[in-house]
Amino acid sequence: MRGEAELAHRSGELGANQSRRSAAEAAAGTGNVDRFLRVWVFALVAGFSASMTAGAQPPTGPAQSSTAPATPGAKSAAPVNPQTSTAKPIARPAQVLGTPVKTYGSSSAPITMEVFTDYECPTCKRLFEETLRPMISDYVAAGKVYLVHHDFPLPMHKYGYEAARWLNASARVGQFQNVEAALYDHQESWAADGDIGKYVAGAMSPTEFKKVETQMRGCGFGAPAGVKSASFALGSQSGSGDACAVDSYIEADRALGNQIPVTGTPTYVISYKGHRLPAGSGVVSWPILKQFFDSLLSQ
Amino acid sequence: MVIVARVALAAIFLFAAYAKMKPQPGMPWTPGSVRTSLSMFAIGVDSYEMLPPWAVSPFAHFLPPFELFLGLWLLSGYGMRFSGLVSTALICAFILAMYSAYRRGLTISCGCFGQGAQIGIMELIRDGLLFLPLALIVTIGGFVTKRNRTSSTLPQSSASVSHAD
Repeated sequence: MRGEAELAHRSGELGANQSRRSAAEAAAGTGNVDRFLRVWVFALVAGFSASMTAGAQPPTGPAQSSTAPATPGAKSAAPVNPQTSTAKPIARPAQVLGTPVKTYGSSSAPITMEVFTDYECPTCKRLFEETLRPMISDYVAAGKVYLVHHDFPLPMHKYGYEAARWLNASARVGQFQNVEAALYDHQESWAADGDIGKYVAGAMSPTEFKKVETQMRGCGFGAPAGVKSASFALGSQSGSGDACAVDSYIEADRALGNQIPVTGTPTYVISYKGHRLPAGSGVVSWPILKQFFDSLLSQ
Repeated sequence: MVIVARVALAAIFLFAAYAKMKPQPGMPWTPGSVRTSLSMFAIGVDSYEMLPPWAVSPFAHFLPPFELFLGLWLLSGYGMRFSGLVSTALICAFILAMYSAYRRGLTISCGCFGQGAQIGIMELIRDGLLFLPLALIVTIGGFVTKRNRTSSTLPQSSASVSHAD
């Protein structure tokens, strides 16, 4: 009896040990599966990340011109340098005093970049000098990008609206690119005293400047009535605050910007093959933007 | 509560990764279009003006897949202490970056969930009062769970000794 009880007890203990070993093995097996899953998930994501990062070559420093001739003597597209351009801009219809043309490049380019700026905005100046200038010389000249400028003067900038008026008046006589460059180059100077006309005059011939001045006669100082401005100087000139010939173009740009909506400058909207991408704002370096354009063009 | 926080945090990171990597309008889901989206995210990273130029692109191409991994890791529930710590550190870094941009007056997109909302008080509040507490709950919950598991382990020898008597 005692032997049977002992035997039963020992077989029970053996069974318990066996079940404990089975549970331990099962746990170990489960742990192995868990470890395998974790490693697999991590490897999957690491591999995916690596494949994406492999495509992210650190952008080259100064943008390499894509207009270099393949063979010596071959013609290359003339770069459009907004500062000291001796090359002719892309051909446009004969300039009639109508809608100001505030663009660079060809409208048939696959990428369109629309930029909303205020000429008195320091960040807009940075974007123009650090990003748009090299882009114009490179990708715009190569026909890859069509750059469109829209005015969005901000109320806190004393002479921003005035600068936009000069720019639009100049654009109506085909002097947009030169005047834009002049306005940004001398931003600190005219932002201090409001003497914008001096720099506009320096960017074109006297004949052309007379045409621009004629348009500006009805404009006076400051922003038109209804547009809040930090300082609305009612000068002695007649027509202060009256409707200005070019104000409608500025307001049309602002209305367009409000649809985006533009909440600060600079704001840019890039379109590719008719699809408008989400708006961006602030300064983006040319190498990063170039990398994005290359990625778009490779689609 | 820890499980809810963990799942919610995982969902946030997974959505953030998706928003940054999804193809742009009119583009199909291809590796090339995902790379284009990541290049667009690089523009957003660049606008913060915090990283050196050479680091912008690699960082922008690394972060979304890492957010994807982090979301899956949180969802799995394994190593909650560490996934919680990594999440907390990442969210703190985001808050610091946004606050730095906000203080410098940069009118740029947050970039948190693709291009869109500009950096402002609401984004800082969202990250600081919603996302960060979730990450902290997961982290603390992970440490508490680990401690409870350690203290509840019983020594196995006492059971066999009582049977032998």
